[in-house]
Amino acid sequence: MLAAEVTHAGAGAFPLLTALIAVPMVGAVALLFTQRSRPEFAKLLALMFSAVTGAMALWMLKEFDQSADGFQFVSQHTWIEDWGIGWHLGVDGISLFLIVLTAVLFPLAIVGIDPHHDEKPYLAWLLMLEAGVIGSFLSLDLFLFFLFFEIVLVPMYFLIGGWGYEDREYAATKFYLYTFLGSAFMLVALVATAMLARDDLGYLTFDLVDIAEGSNFAASTGRWLFFGFAVAFAVKVPIFPLHTWLPDAHTQAPTAGSVVLAGVMLKLGTYGFLRFGLYLFPEASVWSRSLWLTLAVIGIIYGAIVATMQKDLKRLVAYSSIAHLGFIVLGTFAFTSQAISGSVLQMVNHGVSTGALFLLVGMIYERRKTRQIAELGGLQKVAPIFAAGFMVVMLSSIGVPGLNGFIGEYLILIGSFQSARWWTVVATAGVILAALYLLWAYQRVFHGEPDEDNASFPELKMKEGLVLLPFLVAIVFVGVYPQPLLDRIEPSVDRLVAHVADNTDIDADPDYTTQRGEFEPEHGDDGHGEDDGHGDEADDHEEGEG
Amino acid sequence: MRRGIGAAEFGRDFTSPGIFGARMSDFLRDYLNVVWFAVAALAIGGLLLGLAAAIRPSFPSAEKNIAYESGVDPVGMGWSQSQIRYYVFALLFVIFDVEAVFLFPWAANIERYGTFGLVVMLIFIVLLLDGLVYAWKRGLLRWV
Amino acid sequence: MNVLAQADTLPISEPEIWWFALSPLLTLVGGALLLMVVGALTPQWPRGLYAFVSAMIGGAAGVLAIFNWDDISDNGPATLVGGALAFDTFAMWSTIVISGAVVLVSMLADEYIRDTPNDGPEIYALLLVAAAGGIVMASANDLIVLFLGLETLSLAFYVLAASNRRSDASAESGLKYFLLGGFASAFFLYGIALVYGATGSTNIGEMVTSLANRGDSGNDVLALAGIALLLVGLGFKIAAAPFHVWTPDVYQGAPTPITAFMASAGKAAAFGALIRVLISGLPSFRDDWQPIIWVLAVASLVVGSFLAVVQRNVKRMLAYSSVSHAGFILVGVEAAAHTAGEADGGMGISSVQLYLLLYSVIVIGSFGVVALVAREADADLSVFDGLAKRKPLLAGAFTIFLLAQAGVPFTTGFIAKFGVIQAGVDAESYGLAIIAMVTAVIAAFVYLRIMVAMWQKDVEDDAPAITVPVSAAIAIGFAAVFTLVAGLYPSLLIDWSDAITLVR
Repeated sequence: MLAAEVTHAGAGAFPLLTALIAVPMVGAVALLFTQRSRPEFAKLLALMFSAVTGAMALWMLKEFDQSADGFQFVSQHTWIEDWGIGWHLGVDGISLFLIVLTAVLFPLAIVGIDPHHDEKPYLAWLLMLEAGVIGSFLSLDLFLFFLFFEIVLVPMYFLIGGWGYEDREYAATKFYLYTFLGSAFMLVALVATAMLARDDLGYLTFDLVDIAEGSNFAASTGRWLFFGFAVAFAVKVPIFPLHTWLPDAHTQAPTAGSVVLAGVMLKLGTYGFLRFGLYLFPEASVWSRSLWLTLAVIGIIYGAIVATMQKDLKRLVAYSSIAHLGFIVLGTFAFTSQAISGSVLQMVNHGVSTGALFLLVGMIYERRKTRQIAELGGLQKVAPIFAAGFMVVMLSSIGVPGLNGFIGEYLILIGSFQSARWWTVVATAGVILAALYLLWAYQRVFHGEPDEDNASFPELKMKEGLVLLPFLVAIVFVGVYPQPLLDRIEPSVDRLVAHVADNTDIDADPDYTTQRGEFEPEHGDDGHGEDDGHGDEADDHEEGEG
Repeated sequence: MRRGIGAAEFGRDFTSPGIFGARMSDFLRDYLNVVWFAVAALAIGGLLLGLAAAIRPSFPSAEKNIAYESGVDPVGMGWSQSQIRYYVFALLFVIFDVEAVFLFPWAANIERYGTFGLVVMLIFIVLLLDGLVYAWKRGLLRWV
Repeated sequence: MNVLAQADTLPISEPEIWWFALSPLLTLVGGALLLMVVGALTPQWPRGLYAFVSAMIGGAAGVLAIFNWDDISDNGPATLVGGALAFDTFAMWSTIVISGAVVLVSMLADEYIRDTPNDGPEIYALLLVAAAGGIVMASANDLIVLFLGLETLSLAFYVLAASNRRSDASAESGLKYFLLGGFASAFFLYGIALVYGATGSTNIGEMVTSLANRGDSGNDVLALAGIALLLVGLGFKIAAAPFHVWTPDVYQGAPTPITAFMASAGKAAAFGALIRVLISGLPSFRDDWQPIIWVLAVASLVVGSFLAVVQRNVKRMLAYSSVSHAGFILVGVEAAAHTAGEADGGMGISSVQLYLLLYSVIVIGSFGVVALVAREADADLSVFDGLAKRKPLLAGAFTIFLLAQAGVPFTTGFIAKFGVIQAGVDAESYGLAIIAMVTAVIAAFVYLRIMVAMWQKDVEDDAPAITVPVSAAIAIGFAAVFTLVAGLYPSLLIDWSDAITLVR
């Protein structure tokens, strides 16, 4: 437990993590006092607050001690003493880059996207969303995590509902209710976790680290609790078949909403699996892994196939997210250090590349007021720079070597192949399908001769280029030189994998190699000679056991 | 374990053994008088009515279904209106009627209740007076 | 068995009266009587003075209750007036909640009542009397006293519900409430009689002793039938399904500030009584009534949230949502049942009282906004269209209340829900906790609908102007700030609610 509480010497007394949450929150409140008639002033103010947050996140990145595997910059205070709830924040390799991504994405979204009306509340909601997302990634207290996890729904609801497209009310309500439903189960599971851990610990606490290190749930109890959490995360990710809110929300959300939703909010689910699923309930995670692996693989294939069929460019990107998130879930439940590191990296990569894709689709919509692929065409002729930018981002999303997507997917597939061979084999097909739907879409939108409407498609503007530039830099940098990221991610992932291995009988040594063969979870019906069809059977089998 | 209220237990504990003198609390036994009276009343009533129905001649007519009002033909609808001011007086009467009901037993035992009783009754009367003053000032006592 | 013969020789034992402990109650009753008589004897007071005096009396009662709370935490609880009333932190908490509701509702009612037009001391005197009745209910240690409190509260409510003489809906709501409420009171009274038959006493302390000593030879028929009838009467008062059918009609028809008072103080009083009767008085029968509470909770949660969804009228939506809130509070009661009569009381009772306090503020704020927005017309959802453009602050406050009712974090609504869920899970009622949370999702749809109307619809052209009187603005503003601040920093309230204990 103490090892987990490594406080960074350089952090000094400044409560950096609290500030990361507080600054955007203060910004949101400050915006309320600006004049409605002066939107440019509100925008400047919002940009300032989000830029300060971004700068602090970057400073945190610089100060992060990559040799330590525990939580850093820890900030811990008692909050609600009678219920054992604390303000406990900390960052480790798993959450580090997600926070940096969030903090950098928001200023870009604020500067790069014009909401067209009601700028003041729009910006206030965005800043509140930023505070909520960062808070979720930082929380090391179950109660605190739930607070932030829930609160992000409110600004997102208002962003989709207030600044979205034609079906926005439906999409916003669906988004809210779906995610809220998942959280309903999580809340009960979360309280039950704390209450049951009290018997082991001797005191009531919602502290993640205390509970994870000190509790010892009976196998069946742990499984129930795990599933309570898992439902919430599975909706958020989203894992097939709980994904139906996502295409609607993505399509109807304003561009900034889509960017943030795809960029960071979906990661709350996958991050939740790592931080709260695997860490708190290693036994249950291993026990149920066939189910998650199967659903992940179905999601990869299903997302890819449905994406191929889409007529709406934004919906296509939305379904591609389902496929990409499937890879991340696959890596998470492979329980090897490589696969999980790949998952963490891929969360960041997906945030960058899909965020950029939504940004570009948003730009297309701004110019042409349509998202229908059929109405576009030949854009490469009239806007070559725009097309080039789109091309790079798209290739990153496909996972072409040399760009960031490749590194993440490669790590996931290599790592998963060792422990979940046949699922990985099927998932690999998803990589090819990704190439299919994205390249085909690119072909239809950018190749050929532009018709009358498309001939006047304006070229990328200077400001848009500047917003896009950080995305492209990140895509290429991670693709060429991922080591600095992996150096920081891996210690924490190793520690997590070791924690899982300690509490179960899987062999998940960080130095895992293929020579040691596949591990066999006690209850799991693991991947010997199973193709996708058998995967479904494994699924049924698991439920029968439960 | 607590006992439930199953039908079998209901029967054993409550009715048949009690009536035939077995297990029943004195408290419940006192109520048996009520039960016997009820049974007797129902039996006699039923017997007389049944007997009458059996032996009387039956010639139904419309007139016989009219409500009986002391031999006078009923006038107007059943839903007739009456003056609201009677209602106020009825209300005031009930209030002071209740006051009298409380005052009598208190007065009969006033020595034993002592000062405490006096204070309590004064509070009660003040409450009523409060209402009366209010009703008076709002003009409820005036015959409009 | 000659009771009458003995009576002559029995000494009259004057109950010791501890005036200061009774002071909140006496303040409210005395204040009501004074207000009524002085109001009748003097010409019309200047505008707002009736409401101000009423709020002052309510505030004074609340402050006295706080002093009493302090006394109890120093010197321990007691019973008052010969065991008729309990003097414990539970009673004082209810007193504070109800007195606070009087203050807020008086401020809301002022302008509204004057426009009805119905200005005068009567409404406020009835409010104060109802509050006194509610406090008696929540602190009663004797079933007869409890019934007295219940009738005092109910009769005042019947009149209040019908107090808008120009509105047919108000008269209808008063009559409906009166008929059904009278019915429920009769059930309750019969229940008292049967429980008295089973235990030989209506005093809760003596009831418990008698039931504990009854051994295995007696039979429980009387007590069980009595408990069933008591539950019907109390279920009606807390508006738990299936005894909720009066709620939408009465809430809709009654003048909106009065509705706010019913939903806050009325609920606090009824739940106080429910806990007194069941947890305090009948712990030895908890195996019998606990399943009923479970069923009532589930029924209220499901019925409240589902039926709220299909409403078009905001007052009816909030009425049904108050039914689902009653279900949530019953989750806490059910949790408290697990430890009823045991030394370690668990978290149930504290969570219920915390919920009642927080919910009261939220619901008064909500109905306060409705009272301002839908003053003349009935509160159809379309009245709220585009409210954010007309009155952004009012819409903002309503949004806070709605989010709080939905249980969104950083509002008191979340803390309240978390408390009862925690208590439920602590008592291992997992199923109930999950049902509660899932129905909360359905209920959230209702609040989203109102928010959509406020923020995303366009203003109707012929919408009447909305004026916000100062006193109502202060009340709503206070409720909104409280909802946020206490949601952000609830530890003080939680700390206090942990000190809640029952005495008998």
